[in-house]
Amino acid sequence: MSHQAHASASSHEHSPYVAHHFDTMGQQASAAKLGMWLFLATEILMFSGLFLAYFICRMFYPEMVLEAHEYLNKTMGGINTVVLITSSYTMALAVRSAQVSNTPALKKYLLATLACAATFMVVKYFEYTAKFEHGMYPGMYYEAHLHGYDIQGLPHIFFGIYFIMTGLHGVHVLVGMGVMIWIYVRASRNEFSSKNYTAVENTGLYWHLVDLVWIFLFPLLYLVK
Amino acid sequence: MMSAVYLKGKTVINPDENPEHVSPVKSYNAVFAGLLVLTGLTYAVSYMSLGAASLLVAMIVAVIKASLVCAYFMHLKYDNRYHVFVFVGTILFVAIFFGFTIYDITSRGKINDEQETFARLRDQAAAGEPLKVGVHNHPNPQVLQESMEKHHAKPEQESMPKSP
Repeated sequence: MSHQAHASASSHEHSPYVAHHFDTMGQQASAAKLGMWLFLATEILMFSGLFLAYFICRMFYPEMVLEAHEYLNKTMGGINTVVLITSSYTMALAVRSAQVSNTPALKKYLLATLACAATFMVVKYFEYTAKFEHGMYPGMYYEAHLHGYDIQGLPHIFFGIYFIMTGLHGVHVLVGMGVMIWIYVRASRNEFSSKNYTAVENTGLYWHLVDLVWIFLFPLLYLVK
Repeated sequence: MMSAVYLKGKTVINPDENPEHVSPVKSYNAVFAGLLVLTGLTYAVSYMSLGAASLLVAMIVAVIKASLVCAYFMHLKYDNRYHVFVFVGTILFVAIFFGFTIYDITSRGKINDEQETFARLRDQAAAGEPLKVGVHNHPNPQVLQESMEKHHAKPEQESMPKSP
């Protein structure tokens, strides 16, 4: 029986993209995505530690958080939110282009996503430098009170949380940009098609997580009221 | 002659074809428009004075946006149900993490009072000198002096009352 199966297997065309330890393409794609989802689970838990720190700070020092957050630029935060949501949209369309073997569209949407990500980092750069000019550094480096900003309570805690949360998120954006550049290079080599687009899909999953984290960061840090 | 491939007891017809769902562009457009509308809503809600409910409303809107991104952009709606289970399980663990930690930390107040854990700070705050940034609260005067010199803190300015 096994000899029969082996003999007939040699005449069966396996897709070159299905690894031998998988029976079907669907099983392989599902397993790859499961691996990515497990990684995203660890990312969610990592950010949840910082979110908890924020919630505890807000619980114990509500007036300080309310006063300190007024120094954050809500317009820039709003622009960044729209930019990231747009980048999520273009990334979803990039994955879809790979699913239908449309490589030029895939490359176009990857570039659009990269442009949105770069815009996000540029806006973030202006936000951070504006804070630093006023002496609003995180934690023990905070010195805005020496620049004339008298915020009641312990604002260095709020700014510590702000810079770490948005900073870690910014690092994730940069890493995502690097991964997207690599996927773009691979797409230029015509590696992706409807038979092989898992790498693009996993990049998309990562990028959507980056957007998800910002969706929660924005109202909590910028719109406290 | 193809070797038969079975999945869940049934023969798979085309084992090399990817059975994954390809969403139409229209669905992505609709989700994108919905996300933009909800972002505007988040922004608008922050300008209404809802008091304590504003955090809850903002979080509910954020959760709706997150659900849209997860279900449609991340394809959870059309994927293997196990991936949904992994995601929901993560949220469950985050909820356990938040719940137990916040419960613990909110019960610290009573324990602190009973055991006089922060007695010195409590007395200082009662005497009208709560913790402020820039005021160095170290009890050792030499350490206090050194750190004030290092950070160029001017003691005269800090003892001035804050403007409202």
